[in-house]
Amino acid sequence: MTMPFKQPRATGYHQITIGRLEMRLHILRSVILVLAASGLIAGVFWAITLGSQDILPAGLIAVMSGDVTLSPTAQAILTELRLPRVVLAVLCGAMLGLSGASMQSLTRNGLADPGLLGVREGSILVILCLTLFGPSLPAISYPVLGTIGGLLVAAMTVAIARSTSNLRFVLIGIGLSWFLSALVAMILVSLDASDAQPLLLWVTGSLASATWDIVPVAAGLLLVNFVLLLGCARASDVMSLGAQTATGLGVRLGRTSAIQLLAATMLSATCVSTIGGIGFIGLIAPHLTKLVIGNHSQASVLAASALVGGLLLLASDTIGRVAFLPLQLPAGIVLAMIGVPVLLILLWKRRDEL
Amino acid sequence: MRTERLSGVHMASRPILGLVAMLVLISTLYLIVGPRLIGFDSLLDLANGFDAGSFDHRVLQTIRMPRLVAALITGACLGLSGLLLQGLLRNPLGEPHILGLNAGATLAVVVATAAPMGLATDGIARPLIAATGGGLLFLATIVFASAGKSGMTLLKVTFCGIAFSALASAVTSAILILDDDTLDQVRLWMVGDLAGARMDTLWASSWLLVPAVIAALYVSSCLNALALGDDVATGLGISVRRVRLIGIIAAALFCGIAVAIAGPIGFVGLIVPNLVRRFVSDYRLSVPLVALGGAGLLALADLAARLVMLPHEIPTGLATAFVGAPVFSILVARVLR
Repeated sequence: MTMPFKQPRATGYHQITIGRLEMRLHILRSVILVLAASGLIAGVFWAITLGSQDILPAGLIAVMSGDVTLSPTAQAILTELRLPRVVLAVLCGAMLGLSGASMQSLTRNGLADPGLLGVREGSILVILCLTLFGPSLPAISYPVLGTIGGLLVAAMTVAIARSTSNLRFVLIGIGLSWFLSALVAMILVSLDASDAQPLLLWVTGSLASATWDIVPVAAGLLLVNFVLLLGCARASDVMSLGAQTATGLGVRLGRTSAIQLLAATMLSATCVSTIGGIGFIGLIAPHLTKLVIGNHSQASVLAASALVGGLLLLASDTIGRVAFLPLQLPAGIVLAMIGVPVLLILLWKRRDEL
Repeated sequence: MRTERLSGVHMASRPILGLVAMLVLISTLYLIVGPRLIGFDSLLDLANGFDAGSFDHRVLQTIRMPRLVAALITGACLGLSGLLLQGLLRNPLGEPHILGLNAGATLAVVVATAAPMGLATDGIARPLIAATGGGLLFLATIVFASAGKSGMTLLKVTFCGIAFSALASAVTSAILILDDDTLDQVRLWMVGDLAGARMDTLWASSWLLVPAVIAALYVSSCLNALALGDDVATGLGISVRRVRLIGIIAAALFCGIAVAIAGPIGFVGLIVPNLVRRFVSDYRLSVPLVALGGAGLLALADLAARLVMLPHEIPTGLATAFVGAPVFSILVARVLR
């Protein structure tokens, strides 16, 4: 198949053909993505070395190349405490970033975020009830059932608000999430203090209890939903031109929106079931992304939001872990302190429209 | 003229009397019902004189009556704070919890408790610190929300309030996690629970109630005109800026008193004024009605909080959030179009 005309160089796109597969890559954005990914990997290695027992980066490299063996204690700290925690932080951050990016494009509302819309609280409530009263289920069923809770809340918010693109929609979601958190808190209060303590930490969102067991589920669901969202990315680019134009150009609106909503909710529910209720990443990550690479293609926004989200959660968890040693701040609190100013900046930028 | 005044008084007296009767009913119920049911006759006995030998009397005297008084005063303060905010901002979503006053007041008290030089946080200092913190955060909210061509719209001020509240709460949580001593001192109070109501603060705060109520009465007489718009109010000879300033100080004082006594309790200031203003449009009449209604609602909410999860008690603030959060969502859906 030949192209009818040559792509002008000025757009910055580069055509790649591998057999029957054709791709258009934006050079600058691809470079930025690769840089962000390498930054994330470097951040992971740096974060592992930090903590109450310092392990120098140089020492880490020596250990990995097999030149030096660590003491069993240091080995355990590294592989059983820090590594799963750091990996989970990156995974969950990426999930939240993706979830926020797709919710924002779906609702066409820059303030959409699973935490603000009550979707997160819906998942928390379902998963909490399952943990407390349900039979023991395989690990995968918690995020799946949590998704249903999140979808119900999303449906309720949309039903009350009727339109999704304005701030009113977000405020109604906030009201619903307050109600659901009151319900969650009521359940927690009725428990014995010893049972409630770990659950309370989980509701606030903390990576302190991270283990390797939950990593496969988290990674698997992240991958599945990422692929789903990437599949919808082109349609959602077209949808940003408006519903009528999109329909005219052959986008199946209902199906695309349903997939986006399902994937976004499931990502948020997965994050809830693994580390608990972390807020603000879904809100900030897409905006930081668009600040750097612009809002030209949903695929690159998604990929970059995932990277930025991972970086954000990694950074806030590491700050909370290291800044006040020997005490630890939960990542959720550090994030709120970073996230609210960003929220206010967003509000400031839209001050003339609201 | 005379008949008009009389009919005005007459019209005012009926809803007030009705609310007073309701309040008496709720209070009686509050005192009688609990994990231990107390007979009505014991209650009447207590009116005749305290009998140290009677277990019922001791429960009433040391546990339920102080808590009831705290509930009534806190509820009235929260309601009035909400009414003033709604009138001053012409915003039916105005409420100390939503607009950041509660979070600011909590943060101020926690900071004062944690401060190394040991600021006094008991007696009259506590409500004053709380009122200052609440007022300052509210000021930040309205300054931020006033930016832009459209001025201070309903949406912006509500959203800014929520955002600033979230920031203040995060800072509060961080302080409490890092400082165990402070956490021990404020643990029960923090969650907004009348079970942790501080009686010393209650008595000290009653002195602050006097100027706050006087300010509220003065402001309410101007709010009717202010409801017609700043220009009309100015034309009617009202100094809008002065009324706003006094009104905000009074709202912050009421909120500070409530938070100092019982911790941050939300939504009473949202529900009661909105309910009252559906029937009464006159702000002067609204003040006593909202005070009575707020007292009644909080006593009722606290009664429910003590009973719904027996043998556990839930914090009072949770009971009010349970009712208030859906009310907020519905109000947003109705008010903002």
